[in-house]
Amino acid sequence: MSTPAAGRGPMTRLLAALGLSGRALVIAVPLAWLALFFLVPFLVVAKISLSEAAIARPPYTPLWEWEGLRVTLFLNFENYAYLWRDALYLDAYLFSISTAFISAAVALVVGYPMAYFIARSPEPRRTLLLMLVILPFWTSFLLRVYAWQGFLRDTGVVNGLLTGLGIIDEPLRLLQTNFAVYLGIVYTYLPFMILPLYATLVKLEQDLLEASADLGARPVATFLTITLPLSVPGMIAGFLLVFIPAIGEFVIPELLGGPDTLMIGRVLWNEFFGSRDWPVASAVAIVMLLVVVVPIVFLRQIQAHAEERVK
Amino acid sequence: MPDTQTVAARKPWLDPAQKPFVRIQKVTKKFGDFTAVWDVSLDIFKGELFCLLGGSGSGKSTLLRMIAGFEAPTSGRIEIDGQDMTHVAPYDRPTNMMFQSYALFPHMTVERNVAYGLLREGMARDKAMERVAAMLKLVQLTPFAGRKPHQLSGGQRQRVALARALVKRPKLLLLDEPLGALDKKLREETQFELVKIQETLGITFMVVTHDQEEAMTLSSRIGVMNEGEIVQVGEPNEIYEFPHSRFVADFVGSVNIFEGRVIEDEPDFIRLASPEAGCDIHVGHGVACTLNQTLWYAVRPEKMRLSRTDPGGAFNRVQGVVQEIAYLGNLSIFRVRLDSGKVVRATRANVARVDEEAISWDERVWVSWTDTAGVVLNR
Repeated sequence: MSTPAAGRGPMTRLLAALGLSGRALVIAVPLAWLALFFLVPFLVVAKISLSEAAIARPPYTPLWEWEGLRVTLFLNFENYAYLWRDALYLDAYLFSISTAFISAAVALVVGYPMAYFIARSPEPRRTLLLMLVILPFWTSFLLRVYAWQGFLRDTGVVNGLLTGLGIIDEPLRLLQTNFAVYLGIVYTYLPFMILPLYATLVKLEQDLLEASADLGARPVATFLTITLPLSVPGMIAGFLLVFIPAIGEFVIPELLGGPDTLMIGRVLWNEFFGSRDWPVASAVAIVMLLVVVVPIVFLRQIQAHAEERVK
Repeated sequence: MPDTQTVAARKPWLDPAQKPFVRIQKVTKKFGDFTAVWDVSLDIFKGELFCLLGGSGSGKSTLLRMIAGFEAPTSGRIEIDGQDMTHVAPYDRPTNMMFQSYALFPHMTVERNVAYGLLREGMARDKAMERVAAMLKLVQLTPFAGRKPHQLSGGQRQRVALARALVKRPKLLLLDEPLGALDKKLREETQFELVKIQETLGITFMVVTHDQEEAMTLSSRIGVMNEGEIVQVGEPNEIYEFPHSRFVADFVGSVNIFEGRVIEDEPDFIRLASPEAGCDIHVGHGVACTLNQTLWYAVRPEKMRLSRTDPGGAFNRVQGVVQEIAYLGNLSIFRVRLDSGKVVRATRANVARVDEEAISWDERVWVSWTDTAGVVLNR
């Protein structure tokens, strides 16, 4: 048996007296943060989603009522049933998922060669190129999306250039299209694709590529059989980092998309601020969370499997 | 028509009519201002197991990488089996390499690693798998065919790397520190296995190593490299017993070197005055030298005799005090401080299990050697 206080600092002894260890304290800080800013708001939203809209302040009915010592619970699943009945919501979810998926796929195709090029560059230039990838973050995200409006509108830079060169007579309709939304998402989230891809590609040992060449594989064969399979973990990480935030994206479809760009973030906003129907808006938010969490869990599983294979 | 004699016994390098299999002519490699390999010319014959021996930074790995095609020579020419290979890409060369890190593909099983080269050259899958199975049997890895590299021990990985490099039956197999990552016991076993496989398949091997013991055990010939140059090429015993320079004598095995001045130069002997040794050195054969020239005399520790009594004679004998004894089991190494102040090493084989008469610490002893024990060096 050891004496717990012997040979330790006063802080440790104090914690031990309170029945705490340093390790528990270190874990407790982020845990408290998550509980306060994630779990509690989540429970509040979940609670609102089970109530009914009311013209009151706050604009929903209470979930329970006290009468002396008796408590009456009012659980209302009508909001969820409503989401299911009205095709608008299902369409919005599906459209959000497909938009996020296509954007992430495009970002992968665009980002892979860039990450590959940076990883193959000599050391000092690599740092510079990575800086350039991160550089857009120094300007506000909102400003950059507004800037795209300037590029894409009928009288914008792109149309001006094309008409000026005589390639087209009528301006192309670029703004307020789904194309503009894809463009905006890919542009905004590309660094999140490039960075994890770069991290996996730069770790790829030169020896493996040389061994492949030595065994008779031309550069294209080496890329397809060695580089590509070994960068799958980076591809999955990058894909998730683009896909997940893109599902709930609100600003980009609002500013660049048209009236038919029905993404779930916009529906949520309309429900909350337009209709002031907090319970339905909360139900939309809860379902969106599930829609995001399920693919994450699924893809994490694939990624863990891929990493296991690579090891 | 397999040759019944091994290359080491035939010694094709002594026959000027023999055509070398690998021909390296005046090859130089510079990286910016740094010269990694300087004006190397080397002939290697079919079926040889040639070792490039040198310290780190001696240019041996760079030379090997140029033969594999990973680096292009700055100048010079590399020929394999009569064909110019100087600027041929690695995937078009008849060579295969076993990497120091093994460089096994982590996402493939042992079987797929070994099959990789065969499939890349377009061999049919079932035929390739047949070859792979035979190769795995040769390196005793059949039960591990379905495993991934990270599920294998160091020795097993080393054998996968060897199998993968051998399965394409290259004209020339390049091995970069093939045994470096193995522990001593495994290394010794693998050395003999490697020689056996090399003799069975008759493939020419070129091995890079910094380990002189490994070079001695493995090779038909050794090329010693220093600062980008080949300083001596020869059979293992030649390198050990007849080094051309102090560098080679010192790098290969351990050696005692005495500086001396020629005081007698006769056709059948010379005599050196050596204050460093503390006695005159008598060399029992003629040496091309001039009077008063400074030369060096190198004697291996096992050719130094230790005795309590005066061995007699006027030269090749000095007195000193035993400073240290290292017991290695099969032999003991004595470090003796001579009266001149120089410390020499002498070894004695421990032939008896218990030696009552053993020389011990701080004892005053005679150190002596015969007039054929050492080699005279002029650089």
